[in-house]
Parts: sequence; structure tokens; C-alpha cells
Amino acid sequence: MQEGRALTPTQINRDLLRPILEQPKWFWPAVFVLSLIVLVGVSVAGYMINRGLGVTGLNRPVAWAFMITNFVFWIGISHAGVMLSAILRLAKAEWRRPATRAAEVLTIFALSTALTMPIMHTGRPWRAIYWLFPYDFARGVWPSVRSPLVWDPSAIMTYLTSSTLFVLIALVPDIAVLRDHTTGVAHRIYSLLSLGWQGNARQWKFQVVAGVLLSALILPVFVSVHSIVSWDFGMSVTVKAWHSTTFAPYFVIGAVHSGVSAVVFVMIILRQIYGWQDYIRKEHIDALGRLLIVVATAWFYFLCMEIIFGIYGREADELAMREMQFLQYPWNVLMIIFAGITYFLPVALWLPRTFRRNLWIMSFACISVNVGMWLERYLIIVPGLARKQVFTFTWQTYMPSWVELTLVLSTFGLVSLLLLLFSRVFPLIPLYDIKEGEFLRTSVQVGRRTVPATIRED
Amino acid sequence: MATERVNHKWGMVIDLDRCTGCQACVVACHAENNVPINTQDRFLQHRAYEWIRIERYWEGEFPNVKARFLPVLCQHCENAPCEPVCPVYATYHNDQGLNVQIYNRCVGTRYCINNCPYQVRFFNWWEPQWPATLRNQLNPDVTVRSRGIMEKCTFCIQRLRRGELTVERQEGGRLDDKTMQERNFGPACVSACPTNALMFGDQRDPKSAISPYFADANEHVHEEDRKTRAYRLLEEMNTKPNVIYLKKVDQYPLKLKQGEQNG
Amino acid sequence: MAEHAHHHQPYPDDMWVFPRRETAAQDLVSRTIAPISRYRIALIITGVLLALGVVGFIARAATDGFDDHAPWGYYMAVFSFLFMITGAAPLVAVGFRFTKSHWRRPLSRISELFAVLGVLNVLMFIPLLMVLPPLKNPEVVGHQLEIRRSIWFGGPIGSPYWWDMLGVVGLAVLGMAILWLSAMPDLAGAKLTATGFRRKLYGLLAGRWYGSKRQWNIQKAGLAMLGAFYFMFLLFVQFIVASEFGMALVPGWKDSIFPPLYTIVSFQSSLATILLVLFILRKWGGYEQYIGVSPFWSASKILFALTMLWTYHLWAFFITFWYGRLQVEQNILKYFLFESYGWVFFVNVVFSFFTPFFILLWNPVRKKAWGAPLAACFILVGTLAFNIRIFVGAFNAGHTFDHFLETVPPPAWPDLWDIFMVGGFIGGAVFIYLLAARVFPILSVWEIKEGALYQKMENFMHGRYMVLAKPE
Repeated sequence: MQEGRALTPTQINRDLLRPILEQPKWFWPAVFVLSLIVLVGVSVAGYMINRGLGVTGLNRPVAWAFMITNFVFWIGISHAGVMLSAILRLAKAEWRRPATRAAEVLTIFALSTALTMPIMHTGRPWRAIYWLFPYDFARGVWPSVRSPLVWDPSAIMTYLTSSTLFVLIALVPDIAVLRDHTTGVAHRIYSLLSLGWQGNARQWKFQVVAGVLLSALILPVFVSVHSIVSWDFGMSVTVKAWHSTTFAPYFVIGAVHSGVSAVVFVMIILRQIYGWQDYIRKEHIDALGRLLIVVATAWFYFLCMEIIFGIYGREADELAMREMQFLQYPWNVLMIIFAGITYFLPVALWLPRTFRRNLWIMSFACISVNVGMWLERYLIIVPGLARKQVFTFTWQTYMPSWVELTLVLSTFGLVSLLLLLFSRVFPLIPLYDIKEGEFLRTSVQVGRRTVPATIRED
Repeated sequence: MATERVNHKWGMVIDLDRCTGCQACVVACHAENNVPINTQDRFLQHRAYEWIRIERYWEGEFPNVKARFLPVLCQHCENAPCEPVCPVYATYHNDQGLNVQIYNRCVGTRYCINNCPYQVRFFNWWEPQWPATLRNQLNPDVTVRSRGIMEKCTFCIQRLRRGELTVERQEGGRLDDKTMQERNFGPACVSACPTNALMFGDQRDPKSAISPYFADANEHVHEEDRKTRAYRLLEEMNTKPNVIYLKKVDQYPLKLKQGEQNG
Repeated sequence: MAEHAHHHQPYPDDMWVFPRRETAAQDLVSRTIAPISRYRIALIITGVLLALGVVGFIARAATDGFDDHAPWGYYMAVFSFLFMITGAAPLVAVGFRFTKSHWRRPLSRISELFAVLGVLNVLMFIPLLMVLPPLKNPEVVGHQLEIRRSIWFGGPIGSPYWWDMLGVVGLAVLGMAILWLSAMPDLAGAKLTATGFRRKLYGLLAGRWYGSKRQWNIQKAGLAMLGAFYFMFLLFVQFIVASEFGMALVPGWKDSIFPPLYTIVSFQSSLATILLVLFILRKWGGYEQYIGVSPFWSASKILFALTMLWTYHLWAFFITFWYGRLQVEQNILKYFLFESYGWVFFVNVVFSFFTPFFILLWNPVRKKAWGAPLAACFILVGTLAFNIRIFVGAFNAGHTFDHFLETVPPPAWPDLWDIFMVGGFIGGAVFIYLLAARVFPILSVWEIKEGALYQKMENFMHGRYMVLAKPE
């Protein structure tokens, strides 16, 4: 499973710290462009908060649409981080090593970005803070714990906190390396952040134990977050299309599907822009591709369950909603596109080994999955609301306004910008993890072949 | 002279046999409750405010056709789906059977719109505005809502409160059907209805006109067992509304093609 | 470099290393041919149980016939219990072979051998098809449905019966194909040592296997393909069993998580069963040198994950139904979880979740050979309770053609014949498994030998560690 040449610790330091110690030429132009996108987004958000939600395309049954879709989408992306690093760390999968950090950092940024969406989307965001941070003791009115909208921020905040801790713990040894490679102000900041890391046995033991513990503890959190996001919909007994018991696992596995695809794409980008061909090797992309086949198929199974048991009850309102989803323009076209680009096309591309090792094809498949998963949430949310009960008098449809489109697009700029800035100050591939992998690497002679092997402690 | 507070439980009965679809209730409601004026724009954006609306359905094919009217307002469900989903307790159920909206708690998540099966909750997408000439027309007893919050039918709680205050607290009587009708303490839509299709009263008052219907509907779970024409909207959802509808009895049923069912 | 280190270096105490490949083959085959005396005792006991089960079945058929499905609830429950375990069991071998888990080697064959029970599944399934109510209501009374809710939507010709049968038979055939393909190298090896009828049988089953590189490639690719097909087929058949014989028989039960929930419970219980068999073989079967602690330790983590996973699915089901406050959903919760089958549900949750959860939570326990098997015993009881709760419940939930479950039906308790059938068919399943273990070596010889090739001990830093080769 291990290809590529052997790497010395010095070379690992040099390669992986290059983007931090030497500034790439394209860095500031890229930051400028992305900041511009974010700035546009912020201005539009300001405009929307100033004028009221009337500037969106929302209307009377469709009170949630584009922004909530985008919220669920980014929460979904955020699921890759923990899924990859925690599960693979616990399973001691060797090929996780270059992928973990990028995945975890993507988690944090995607989560923070996701959080902005529902807050902006409330009628009075300035007051929504009241319930997100329950400080309203004076009036004695606490948030209603019965509401999924209270479960939601609680779960997301827990997830954000724990995944930030997760990243920090894995980051400490690498920050210490940075501290030793820098001078001046940077040195002082890195010294502070490295928390006195000396790399002695006791510290390593703590670091490893903390990593394993957090991996185990964060997994239930990771499952709960997207389950709770799904329950924002699933609890809604009125919207028949949403009131489905399978929503929790369906959303979780869908989140992993889109999240891992996003990580693969980010890894390919990193490999290309920073020249990390020796670290993010094609075998890693290949392994992730195989994982994605399994994840995608599991997701597809839940999709089938959701649809089959949607029609199963044969209730008039649910059938009307499915009719809109599958047969009415433009939803029918979106539905076909969705099924094609989320499952059939990417899985077909992931099946042959040569395709899994082709970066262009992999990038294409992973983007296609993410576009598809965005559509998935959209196709659940909007038709569900537009046909939510049997009174045809209030049936409606929805078209996003330019405000919503701009906001959604700018979130992509925001996440890219944050990732770019992060990669400028911290290594996006864990140095110590790669070194450990190199260290434990050996080979076994089986007959006439030399087979790569790993030293294991179990 | 403070007497003990009377334990009311308000309810409404809508007789579909009497409803002519004249929309007087809609107008009365707008005037009473400071509901912003629905301009053409608002209708086209599907953001019109209709605390009470007349749903109109056509049955049959021209020329053999009938219009059906269904006045829909907040059903003040006992088991309201909109209530538990609010994160800030902006909507809750009071002891008089009313589903109450607290404007200054509302942050506008719009979860309650999603979870209302009757589609009777209205969000203020814009800052509500009235033409200058109508400024003085606003009802001083009713809050003018601001942008970004939810509003809905209150069963004209301001009128009920005034009724309780004058009749029960000051005069020591009881706010019953008669006093409500004579002195205009019932909801505005009820007062405005020319055919008396809307009836309002206290479910706990055995003498009120509405209580037999509630008793009947509560006693018999199945619609076919009931002695009256009473039914509730979306009964299978278990929302237990405090609004009861009386079925329309067609004197001259539509002539339908063979195989089609009337109803 | 340490070619010979393998057999004369002492290993750390808690580390288990595969036996030498030269001796393994011979030894394992001879154990299959000449079993120990405990085997005969087990065979007799389970044989008697099977006879009792058949008696119970005949008595049930004689007293109640096949017209009404209600009396067959316990039969369905025991069918589903056995089907859950035996259906998913081969997948354990398939799955961990796919992930190239080294520790799986001793349990591959144990899990594949369950495919033989596909025969029992098919036989037991036939009476169930006879009692399954038709899709169309023969006599529409009052406000009943004309076509009952079903996954077939009144659909394709022959539904539901022929399609259901096709599923169960197909799964049995696929499972046995996996077993056969996987055991082929071992059977070819066994042919060399066996004599008489056994030699002829092995010769027949092993075909022309002589272990060329091409044959190995075909075998590996074939196993992967069959495994993938088996997985999809299993999902489909479990979907049928869960929804056709469970959900569809309860008026108004619409629950999209139930088939996945069923599948996960089946994964949990089949992994538990395999670990139990593994433990029995290690402890009483004389295979201790082949079965280390490593499979228990690694599999127990997965068992732990599955334990939490099924509870998560149960919770997702519960919270959705409970929050909505629809009458029908409340009644279904009362029926299956709190009132009618409340105690069965209690046993189900305590034995399938709480007990295994608190046992498997501890790494020192997981690392012992008895840890996971102990949890497995509880899980099996819990799984039986799960099946009783769901299927006895579904078979006794009233008129299938009603729109909604308007009241909470009372529970149905077993009579003597039900107890005979439940005990008897479980015993019968063990009986068949024991018979099959006389034919196929219970441990996969070639995988054990492969494992011995891929691992070696190496000095590293201050300790000795196992080095594991991972060929791509």
C-alpha cells in the first residue's frame, strides 16, 4: 500500500513547511480575489439584514430554501474531517496520514461558515443571538429545549469546540517545529502556541492518548450533529416529505459522501499548488476513491429507502410532493441531474483503478458529488415545503433571488479563503504523522516479492 | 369589585353551509388587527397577509360547476405543531385554548410556518407600511408588528380581554354568547359575518351555541359516528383544533359522470 | 532479514502469532475428518431439538392451518432471528477480506459456513409465504384499503410471493457459491489426506483446483464479485423480510428506517454469533493455537460500534415518531415499545444495547478472549427479543387492510408449540452447522497460511513488534 520514495525527516520539514516559510508568488493575488468575493457576500448580507428578508425569493409555504440548503451543505462538508481522521486513526489505516489535517481544518471552516447561514436567515439576527447564547436570565425565559433549533446550535457548538481541540492537539508538535524554524514575532507567536512542546516521551504519550480519546469521543458528536440537523426537518410532522424516520442516518451518510469528496478535491488542489507529490500520493487518492464507492452506495441505499417509504403510504399530500419532485419542470430535470451526478456518474468513475488514479477524473467526480449533494438538500427542502399539505390553495413554488445566489456563492469563497490563510501559517499535512509513517515503514519478503509492511503494536 | 376569573376555553364553529365566500371577515380582520395592506406585489410574491382567508375550490366542469368556500384561520390547536418547534417560546398555548404569538420574543426562524399544516402563520418580510391617510385608522389596542417576526390570528384577543375586563371584572357578569354579540366583544370576523357562518363562544359554557358541536366532536372520534355535521381540518394529524367546521350539505348535488364520487 | 526469527524467538505474552504454515494445513484437515467427542454430544442434543421443532411446526399447522397469519408470529420471529444471523454471517468474511484485515483470518470460514443454513432459510420461508396475506383485499369492509400497503404497490406479476421466494433462494445460492469458492483450495488440499467417500466428495467439490496463479486470481476476483452481489442481495432480502413481514402487516406503520435498522441488528447479531463460535472453538474445540486474542480484540471494537449504531437507528425512529404526536405513530410506539411489548422491548434494549455496551466499553475486557463472546451471549438474547417484539407484534396487529392502528392491540404470548418451534429451529440451525463443519475445515486453511506469510516479528527500538505486510 505504500509507494513513493523514502523521505528523511529533514526533507519532510522542508517540503511541508515551504508554503509557510517561503511565500508563494500567487498568494496575495489569490487572497485578494477571494477576499473580494467574501466582501461582496458580507455587503449583500448587510443589505439583506438592513432591508428585511423580502429581498430573498422566500414566500409563504416555502419559508426555508436556499440558505438552509447551503447550511446543510456546509454542515455536510464538515463531516469529512472527523469521519476521516477519527475513524481512520482508530482503525490505524496507514493511508490516513496525509489526509487528516486538511480534513479537520475543512471541518472547522465549513462549520463556521455553515453557522452564519441560519443566523442570517432569521428575521431578526440580532435577537437570534439571544437563543444561541442563552444569557437572557433577566426575563427568565430560557430557550425552549423542545425545539430542534435549540438542539442544533448546541450540537454544532459542541462539534466546533471538539474539532478545534482535535486540530490543536494534532497541531502542537508541528507548531513546535515551526517555532524552531522561525525568528522574530512569528517565533514568539509559535512559541506561545506550541504550549512548551519539547517532544519528550511524556508529552508524546499525552498527545497520543488525547488524540485517541478525542477520536473516540468526537465520533458520537459527529454522528449527532448531522442527525440533529436532519431532525430540524424530520421532527416537522406537517411536512410529509421531511417526516421520515430514516433522515438521521441518511443525512449523516450523505454528509460523509459529500465531505470525503470535498477532502479529496482539496487534497488534489494542495498537491498541485504546493508540489506535495511525494506526500499526497496517487495511492491515497485511490484509497479514498475506494472508500467513496462504499460510502456512496450506502448513501444510495438510504436514498432508496427514503423514496420508497415516501410513496409507500400513498397519502395524497405526499404523492403530490413526489409528483412535483419527479415529474414537474424544473424539479424533474434537477432530480435526474441529481441522481446522475451524485451516484451513478461518480461511482462509475471510481470503479476503474486507472480512473481513481487520474487526478482530473477524481477532481471532476468529487465536484460532481458535491454539486449533487447540494441539489439533494434543495430537492428535499423546497418541494417538501411547496406541497406540504392537501390544501391545494396554498401550494407554491420558489425561485431564488440574486441576494441568495450571491450569498451562497460567497460562502465558497469564504471557505477557500480561510483554508488558504490557514495553509500560510500552519502546515496542512501533519509533519509528525508523516514522519511516524516513514518510521514504521518496513518490508517483508514473501517468496520472491518484497511487500511493503508496517510495524504494528497489536 | 374583583371576582374570580372565569375559566374560559374559546372555540369557533364555521358553518360551511352558510358561508357565501363574501370575504367580509377578511376585511374586518385586516381593519381590526392592523394587518398590513396586501398590495399586488405582495400577492405576486406570495407573501400576502391573510389572518383569515377564504379558500376557493372549483368542483365539476363548466357549465356543471360549483364553487366551494373554506374560511381558514389559525385553528388554535390544543396540540399545535408550531409550538414545540419555536426555540424562544415565542408561540405558546394559553389556558384559554388560544395559541398565542409573543411578538417581542420572536426572532423569525420561520420554523413555525413550516410546521403549521393550515398555513395560517405570516412572516413580516418587509417593514409594514401604511399610506399616510390610514395612519390614524390603526387600532390602538393592537401591536403594530415590525419586520422579521411572525404574526397570526389571535381570535381578537384584545376584544376578548376588553370583554372580560368590562363584563366580568367590572360588572360581575359573564362573557357569554349574548354579551359578546350585543356588545361586540367577539372576534371581528365573527361580528362581520353577514350570514352568521362564523360562531364564537366558550366551550366550557354549556349554553353557548358552539358547545354542542365541540361536545359531539370530542366524544366521537370517527366522523361518521357524529350526530352533527362537525369535523375538524386534518383531523388525522392529531392537532386537536379549537375550530370546528360544519359540513356543507348540498341541496342540489353536482351531476357527475358515472364512476365519480360526490364530495 | 529475519526469515528464521519466526519460530525460535520468544514472543510477548499477549501477542498471538499464526502457527507455522507447514503444519497448519495437515492439522486442520485432520481435525475436520476426526472430530472430538464433544462434537457428537452437541450433534445429538441439537438433533433432538430439531425434532421437537418439527413436532411444534406440525402441531401448529394441524391446529391453526395456513389461512390466518396471526398464529404464526413466533414462527416468523424465529425464522427472522435465524435469517438475521445466517444471512449476514458470510458478509463478515466478505467485508473483512475486502478491508484486508489481518485478524479476520481465523473467522472467515466460520462466517462463510453459515451460508449452508440458507437451505434452512428457504425451507422455513415456504410456510411464511403461505400465510402472508394477499395484496388485494378479498372482502372490502367499511373503510378498509382495497390494496394493502406494501413495498410492491400492487406491482409486478407474482408479487409478493414469487419475488420474495426468488430473493431468499437467490441469497442462499449466492452464499453457498461464496463458501464453495472460498473453500476450494482447502478442499483440494484435504483431498490429499482424506480417504474413501470423503476423498471422492472433496475431489468433486474441489474441481480442478491445483493452485495456479491464474486460479488464485480468479478465486480472489470471484470472491470479491460474489461478495458485492451477496451484499446487495442481502440488503434487498432483508428489506423484503423487514417490510413485507413486519411493517406492511401493521396498519399505518410507515417507517423508512426500519429496513436499515433490521440490517444493522442483523450485522450485530451475526458478528456476535461468529465470535461466540470462535470462542467455543478456541476454548472447547481444541483450536487454541489457531485462534489468538487478536480477532476478538479487533472484532469487539466493531461489535461495539454496531451496538451503538443499532441503538442510534432505534433512537432516530423513536424521536421522529414521538415528536410528531400523530395518533397512529403514538400507537405504534405504545404497541412495540412501551405497552403491549414493553417488557420484550426492555429485554431487547438491555440485552442488545446496555449490557454489551458496558461490557465492550473497556479495553481490558475487549482484549480478553471472553469479552466479546460474553457480550455476544447477551446480544443473541436481545436479538431474539427484538424479533419477537417486531414480528409477533406485526402478525397480531389486527386487520392488515385498515388505514391506521387506531387502538393499541394486546400482546400475544407463546403457547407450547411456539416454544417448541423457537427452541427447536434454533437447535436445528446449530445441528446443520455442525454437520457442515464435518465437511469443510472450520478454519480457512489458505487464509491462515497466507497470514503466516505476511507477518513476522522484528526488533524495533527497544521492543519486539509484529510487522505486517500489506500487499496491494
